Amino acid sequence: MRRQPTPWREPRRPGGQRRLWPLWLLAPGLLWLLGLYVLPLLALVPLSLSQPLSRFGLETVFTGRVANYLEVLQAYGPILARSGGYAVVATALGLLLAYPLACVIRFRGGRWQPLLIGLVVLPSLSSYLVRAIAWTSLLGDQGPVLALVSALGLTGPLDALGVLRDGRLLNTATAVIIGLTNNLLPFLVLPLVVAMERIDPRLLEAAADLHAAPWRCFAQVVWPLSRPGLAAGILLSLIPAAGDLVNPLILGGPNERMIANTIENLLLVQMQAPRAAALTLVLMALITVAVLLQLRGRGLEELPLP
Amino acid sequence: MAPTPQNNGCRGVAGAAAAAAPFRSGRRAFLRRLAWGASGAVLLPGLLQACGRGPKGTSGAGGGRGGELVISTFPLYIDPGQPGAPGSVERFQRETGIQLRYLEDINDVRQFFARIQPQLAAGRPLSQDLVVLTGWMAQRLIALGWLDPLPLEQVPNARNLIPSLRNPAWDPQQRYSLPWQSGIAGIAYNIKATGRELRGIDDLFDPALKGRVSALLEMRDTMGLLMLADAQDITRPTWATAQSSFERLEKARRDGQIRRFTGNDYQNDLLSGNLAACMGWSGDVAQLALEQPELRFVVPESGGVLWADVMVMPRGSRHHREVAQWLNWVYDPVEAARIAAAVQYISPVEGVQQVLAKTPATAALARNPLMFPDAAEQQRLHIFGPLSDAEEARWDERFARITEG
Repeated sequence: MRRQPTPWREPRRPGGQRRLWPLWLLAPGLLWLLGLYVLPLLALVPLSLSQPLSRFGLETVFTGRVANYLEVLQAYGPILARSGGYAVVATALGLLLAYPLACVIRFRGGRWQPLLIGLVVLPSLSSYLVRAIAWTSLLGDQGPVLALVSALGLTGPLDALGVLRDGRLLNTATAVIIGLTNNLLPFLVLPLVVAMERIDPRLLEAAADLHAAPWRCFAQVVWPLSRPGLAAGILLSLIPAAGDLVNPLILGGPNERMIANTIENLLLVQMQAPRAAALTLVLMALITVAVLLQLRGRGLEELPLP
Repeated sequence: MAPTPQNNGCRGVAGAAAAAAPFRSGRRAFLRRLAWGASGAVLLPGLLQACGRGPKGTSGAGGGRGGELVISTFPLYIDPGQPGAPGSVERFQRETGIQLRYLEDINDVRQFFARIQPQLAAGRPLSQDLVVLTGWMAQRLIALGWLDPLPLEQVPNARNLIPSLRNPAWDPQQRYSLPWQSGIAGIAYNIKATGRELRGIDDLFDPALKGRVSALLEMRDTMGLLMLADAQDITRPTWATAQSSFERLEKARRDGQIRRFTGNDYQNDLLSGNLAACMGWSGDVAQLALEQPELRFVVPESGGVLWADVMVMPRGSRHHREVAQWLNWVYDPVEAARIAAAVQYISPVEGVQQVLAKTPATAALARNPLMFPDAAEQQRLHIFGPLSDAEEARWDERFARITEG
């Protein structure tokens, strides 16, 4: 007996095999997530409640030690807060840069649009380690940025504002935030451009016809219609920024360390795997809460992920 | 006190060397160093490697195929090959016919430990036959029983080991370790940036240098220098005698006096003018000074920290005969002199000074007090004493809270 060649057009026939085939398509992705994400994450839970048996052995013994969490929160709470703070500031700065960029690309880009998008993505093609190291020469004490600042006579005022520290830029919070902003910019611009693609240009013409000033056109047309892209962009940039390891290490100093540096140090230098696991789970929990808040009441279809 | 056999030297990341003709470092050396800074100075690769097993290029517990001798060590820690002038690695292979895989894959001994820990703890051999580690790390591995005795009965040249490095307290019969290089932790500075000669650790805390000073991530070097400045005995360090130094360091970090804590990467910051002064290692600065004559290295008035990196054989290592041949080779004064001339640290091999003095091109090195400290200078060098496991854990945590904010 020959089967009909178009099984998916037959919703009325509940053939078990056919209903399963989307699951088979999902299987590689699900297995990947399960094996490389869910299981390791779950394995961290008992580890985070354990104690090391010896200082240099790998064995830990499960003791249900909740105190691990209290200890890391107490010791590294400020660093968690700092990481969140840097991520928020970098994302905000990124948005200030990304909105005009996305607007230009979408509404003024014309035939240059693909090229402009390519330029936005271009820096991401180099390793972010290399980018951080490149920033050290730009932001260094003898570098061009400080030379410009001092030529403009801005050293004093920027120092007073806390942007510079003792007249330097490298190994300060400012440098870390610059590095983070640089990394997350494409993740903000691309969802915004995609979201703006959905805005009918005629709406802008209509706004102009109704004598809306450009800023009002932005505030009342572009801004509300690009909000889904904003949500996606914030998700894509805030999370990696909060867990960044390299920028604070290379562009920051000891006062600018972020939580990933702490976890790394706990695990590799102090050999405190349970406490490192506890801190990791705290970070994951905080990120999950942030994502849920962000997605609250929103369907994924609203998020124009690039 | 003089550097006693109770050697517990330390150093996080080796560096130096990369001289073009043995004694001239140049642009190339600098570029190599930058490349190394870019690829290695960052913890990320270490973190990734920590998840893997063997050294790069090998996987699993196997490795070391056939008669191949595998050595892991710090980068830029041997005379490099030049066109027409092969380096020690190449000449050793050529003269002995032994296949040598010389891996410069140790960035930070603590991370290297994290990398090798799973295999050694499980009783599986590493792919390396020989590893160059800092003294205190060798001490830890000996205590854990993770090393095999060196085949010293086949190494006649081992008798060339200088007396001051013989029989450290943690390896009293010199069964497990043989020094590779030794050196001094002290102060490096740029005379143009400081505007004056520096003499002691207190100079690093001068408000005029605020934010242009760095300290070392290697706890025993940084704490050793600070405790010496505090007139404490670092050969017998205790939690109590370290407190005021910890507090001083913490305050300096919080105030922004100390800009960074570094491994080998202080070199780039010194060259690019981001640092005016820092804690550094003698051989590195000797090399950097060739590129930038304003750079100086000084052993602080209160004393410097003497450390030694040693060669050890991980448990289960095969190729004992090849290891013995390598050890014998690098303990030959003529070969050792080539290495010493390139890395400019304190060679552990007797007779190197005489070899260097004989050649006009290297005669100046033979008079370098940082490579060949005389008796008076040795009085000012101290070795950081052992810490018990419990003490070390406490120190590490306190130090990490300072360096990692």
